[in-house]
Amino acid sequence: MLPYILRRFANLIPVFIGATLLTFLIIQAAPGDFLDAKRLDPRTTPATIERIERQFGLDKPIFVQYGLWLKNFVTGNLGISFESNVPVWDLIGPKVFNSMILVFGSTFLLYFIAIPIGIYGAVRQYSLGDKSISLVSYFFLGFPSFFFALILIFGIIQLNWALNTKVLPVGGMTSEYYDSLSPIGKVLNILWHTLAPMIALLLRSIASESRGFRAQMLEFLNQDFVRTARAKGLSERVVIYKHTLRNAITPFVANIGGLLPAIFSGAGFVEVVFNWPGLTPVFLEALFSQDIYVNVSIGAITLVLLVIGNLMADFLLGAVDPRIRYY
Amino acid sequence: MALATGMSKQFDSVKSKSQLQVVWEQFRKHQLAVFGGMVLAVLYIGAIFAPFISPQSLSEYSTTDITKFHPPTRVYVIDPETGQFNLPFVYKSKRFTNPDTFVEGYTEDRTLKYPIKLFHNRPESPFKLFGFIPMTVHLFGVDAPGNIFILGTDGFGRDTFTRIWYGAQISLTIGIFSVALSTVLGLFLGGLAGFFGGWIDNIIMRFVEILSAIPELFLLLSISALIPRNIDPVVSFYGIIFTLGIIGWGGLARVIRSQISALREVDFVQAATALGASEMRIIGKHMLPVTFSLLIVNLSLSIPGAILTESGLSFLGYGIREPFSSWGLMISVAQEGGFASIEYRPWVLIPGFFIVLAVLCWNFLGDGLRDAVDPRKRQ
Repeated sequence: MLPYILRRFANLIPVFIGATLLTFLIIQAAPGDFLDAKRLDPRTTPATIERIERQFGLDKPIFVQYGLWLKNFVTGNLGISFESNVPVWDLIGPKVFNSMILVFGSTFLLYFIAIPIGIYGAVRQYSLGDKSISLVSYFFLGFPSFFFALILIFGIIQLNWALNTKVLPVGGMTSEYYDSLSPIGKVLNILWHTLAPMIALLLRSIASESRGFRAQMLEFLNQDFVRTARAKGLSERVVIYKHTLRNAITPFVANIGGLLPAIFSGAGFVEVVFNWPGLTPVFLEALFSQDIYVNVSIGAITLVLLVIGNLMADFLLGAVDPRIRYY
Repeated sequence: MALATGMSKQFDSVKSKSQLQVVWEQFRKHQLAVFGGMVLAVLYIGAIFAPFISPQSLSEYSTTDITKFHPPTRVYVIDPETGQFNLPFVYKSKRFTNPDTFVEGYTEDRTLKYPIKLFHNRPESPFKLFGFIPMTVHLFGVDAPGNIFILGTDGFGRDTFTRIWYGAQISLTIGIFSVALSTVLGLFLGGLAGFFGGWIDNIIMRFVEILSAIPELFLLLSISALIPRNIDPVVSFYGIIFTLGIIGWGGLARVIRSQISALREVDFVQAATALGASEMRIIGKHMLPVTFSLLIVNLSLSIPGAILTESGLSFLGYGIREPFSSWGLMISVAQEGGFASIEYRPWVLIPGFFIVLAVLCWNFLGDGLRDAVDPRKRQ
């Protein structure tokens, strides 16, 4: 086992370096840099700019800058945000937590809902239920997530207006009276705010995941060993859950490797539309003001998590599929 | 000899269908796919004739007669004053501010009717059909000073209906062009990796791995940020195609690589090698045609994804820029003025339904094609 892990790590190091270098180069290649705005500002003296340049090594060639950044990253120093003048982790840490609330919840619900739908679709293939589910999923797959989120907001406003109460909030993570709430009230308040963005996140992903799962199930339901199981007189429940599901679930276990970075990297557009104080808005802001260390660090942490996630997925895969062994 | 000719005659009498005919017949049985194809045809024809279909020009708005966030103009068939049947007409609207809520709105000025005219001549908005036929006649319109906004207007007072069709020109073509670019890249690099193997394979596949390791949204946004903000919008249009194209080729390259490297061992390729065919001939004549059906399916299933991505980038302000129009860019207006603003102007969301329609139909079409070329799914 240990040699396998070491070999995997050795393979992943070049990918990590390549990917961070690529991110670094792309972000640095953007026209202008963070200091451009400062140079135009008459209140900033040239001496200050020079000091900042020296402090962050911005006057050095780009590969030297990358080397410095990598050295800092490995020792756990993510660099400093130029814009807000705090260490990058202090800036993104709380946002990562906010994003996690959304993504963790929706991912859990996703599998909780999508897998039963997929099983139903496969077992009752071409039934009325299956056909209508697949038509509805087609429909939801057409929605860009930001557009669906906007429609949801419109619907919530209408609903709140019609019922003349605040059924659901339309944005943000906490209410104005959040600070006056008890600890339990605070948790409930945040959960209340997660409902709408969660629905926006879920409907699309349920549509795609349940279709994928249905296809996986069908792949195995038509195979010989399932026919044998039925011929032996096993109950349908055992045939489906023990013989088919066990096999169909393997690719999804392999995908778990991608979940870890996904939980970290935030809910994307939904965060922007719902004004959720997550990681995506921070990334966009940093990209706009060319606060490069924020962007590069977010990318790099995601990569580290991807590596760890893939390793974890390998072990899990070995656990659910006895044919897979790592020696 | 006589036997041989006799046999060939026998074979001639049995008409065999070509591969393409079989695929076409299978495709026609897939009703949703045919439906998708027809709707897409309408959308693309609409995009080609955009300047003619739309009553106004791309970024036309009046600075004197302000039409900011004008709701969809109501078209009357029955005269509300007299109750009599009439040919379709509209009223001109007046701007007013609600004294209680301070929300700006419009009322109809019912003194004058403006009948809707087909093939309406409007010299204020000239255009060139297909880029070279100068015209001033639009499909429909009303005489000045009346105006018709059948899907409302945006924050500048520009007609949504007009901008949807101009936006279709961009939103619908970006998908095709960027997927074409990534297909060429995937085919070329995947083919190289699969055919030559060794260190070429290693380098290309490591690069694919690196690309797929970076979160897609972050990579997309970072590359889009390379396009300077004050650049000519036309350049940024090509920039978006380029961005989407260079990100999307990895998956295809993997598939093509494995197919090509499997094909290297197949008898007909070995036969061609034994006959002394050049490498280029083997790749072009014997290997690539095998991947053709895979390519078509990949193409039609990637286009909806590219359309969605473009709309997202434009929505965030990293895609298509003003004064150009794209469906994603048009929806970004919905975010202006806070959440509650949508309540007063829900029509700004309409372009989104065009995205949904286009993506839905491309998905139908792609699935239909995939089933049609797959021999296991033939009926």
